[in-house]
Amino acid sequence: MHSIRIALTTGIAAALLVTAIGVAGAASAQDAAKADEGAIKYRQSLMESVGGDMASISNIMKYGLPLTGNLVVHAESLAAHAKLVSTAFERKVTAGQTDAEPAIWAKADEFKEKTKAFETETAKLVEVAKTSDPAALGVQMKATGKACGGCHDNFRKPKEESFKRKGGGGE
Amino acid sequence: MKRARSAGIAALTAAIAALLAAASARAGDGAAQRGRAVLEAAGGCTCHSDVKGGGGPLAGGRAMKTPFGVFYSTNITPDPETGIGRWSDSEFVRAMREGLAPDGHAYFPVFPYPSFTGMGDEDVLAMKAYLFSLAPVRRENRPHDAWPPFSWRIAASAWRWMFFEPRRFAPDPARTPEWNRGAYLVEAVAHCGECHTPRTLPGALDRSRWLAGSKDGPEGELAPNLTPDADTGIGLWTKTDIAWFLKTGQLPDGDDTEGLMKEVIEHGYGHLPESDLQAIAAYLHSLPPVRNDALAEHEHGHEHGDESAE
Repeated sequence: MHSIRIALTTGIAAALLVTAIGVAGAASAQDAAKADEGAIKYRQSLMESVGGDMASISNIMKYGLPLTGNLVVHAESLAAHAKLVSTAFERKVTAGQTDAEPAIWAKADEFKEKTKAFETETAKLVEVAKTSDPAALGVQMKATGKACGGCHDNFRKPKEESFKRKGGGGE
Repeated sequence: MKRARSAGIAALTAAIAALLAAASARAGDGAAQRGRAVLEAAGGCTCHSDVKGGGGPLAGGRAMKTPFGVFYSTNITPDPETGIGRWSDSEFVRAMREGLAPDGHAYFPVFPYPSFTGMGDEDVLAMKAYLFSLAPVRRENRPHDAWPPFSWRIAASAWRWMFFEPRRFAPDPARTPEWNRGAYLVEAVAHCGECHTPRTLPGALDRSRWLAGSKDGPEGELAPNLTPDADTGIGLWTKTDIAWFLKTGQLPDGDDTEGLMKEVIEHGYGHLPESDLQAIAAYLHSLPPVRNDALAEHEHGHEHGDESAE
């Protein structure tokens, strides 16, 4: 009788333990999935910030707006955001609703080189924006755009393969 | 005395000859300079530059992936053996506007002669003058890798016979000169429709959906809808946005452009005078909007909808 009780208790305890481990495992898998999702979302919002400042500079220039004083602010914002790009891609997430190419992690050195080039060009953009020379700014905006493209060329899915064109599913 | 006079005449003759030579060289330069602008309006003829393969500019050999196979562009530098160095003016004009090589065979319509057929004499000849002012590059043309029957030369002739009619651009007197300039550039020289208009099964442009975008652009790229449809086209772009984009490659949302478009802006459209960019924008804004859902990005709402359904 006593031994049966011990066996039962042990059995229940063991079952509880297994369940607990299972739940913990499921929870950690869930956490990882959520972290992956967050990494993708953050990358995209960071790129939108970059695009926003690029568009703002372009809008001031192409419409000749009397807001040239704002150019430096946008350029500084770009330079600051540029430094965040490499951190945003530290976590390797290739599946899901993302246009990030696996080459980012497979060719990490090349990717780093490209993000560095973006940092360099945006830092130059700040200096040029301070001089309020529209021709020089135009030239440096082109150089900055080239730095964007230099990375997008190999590390962002082309538009025809974008997750946005694949019925919303990324995988 | 007599000798002095004859020496004087000789000197004068030489001076006149020199002047004439200089004037004709300048006229030649002028045509070449104008031709450079025409070539830039044609997107820099970038398809003839095999950038990835390390071929020289305009020396051909670039692979153009199409639904009919892979076609390789030709050498259009003035090399007499492998390029177009021996072509006469009339041969060049016929190739550009009628799609026929000097030996009479028809080009596959991957070469956009159905657009160039709209070009004026002066522009075509100026383009030739510019090409002939460049350094010749020796590079043999590469045979196409198309699938039969598209690989057969006769197919190109048959296609041309069925779908092509030479037609010079005719300005519409009811429209402004700016619009007509834009129409001439878009329809003929800049040959926008070749990539941005969907094609019918045999590869002819579907003119009922003019510039409505295509999934089968060259090199397998997607060519966006250029009509002013607000959802699937560029209906939300201002004329200033369009002109700026063609000049810089920067999209209104601050993104950059990639692929062939980036190249044709860099070597071509980006050098157009502002008035031409504005003319193109005015023309594009005047087009009837065409919805093309096949190319549309899915709205964010859609994505969330899909997510919650999973």
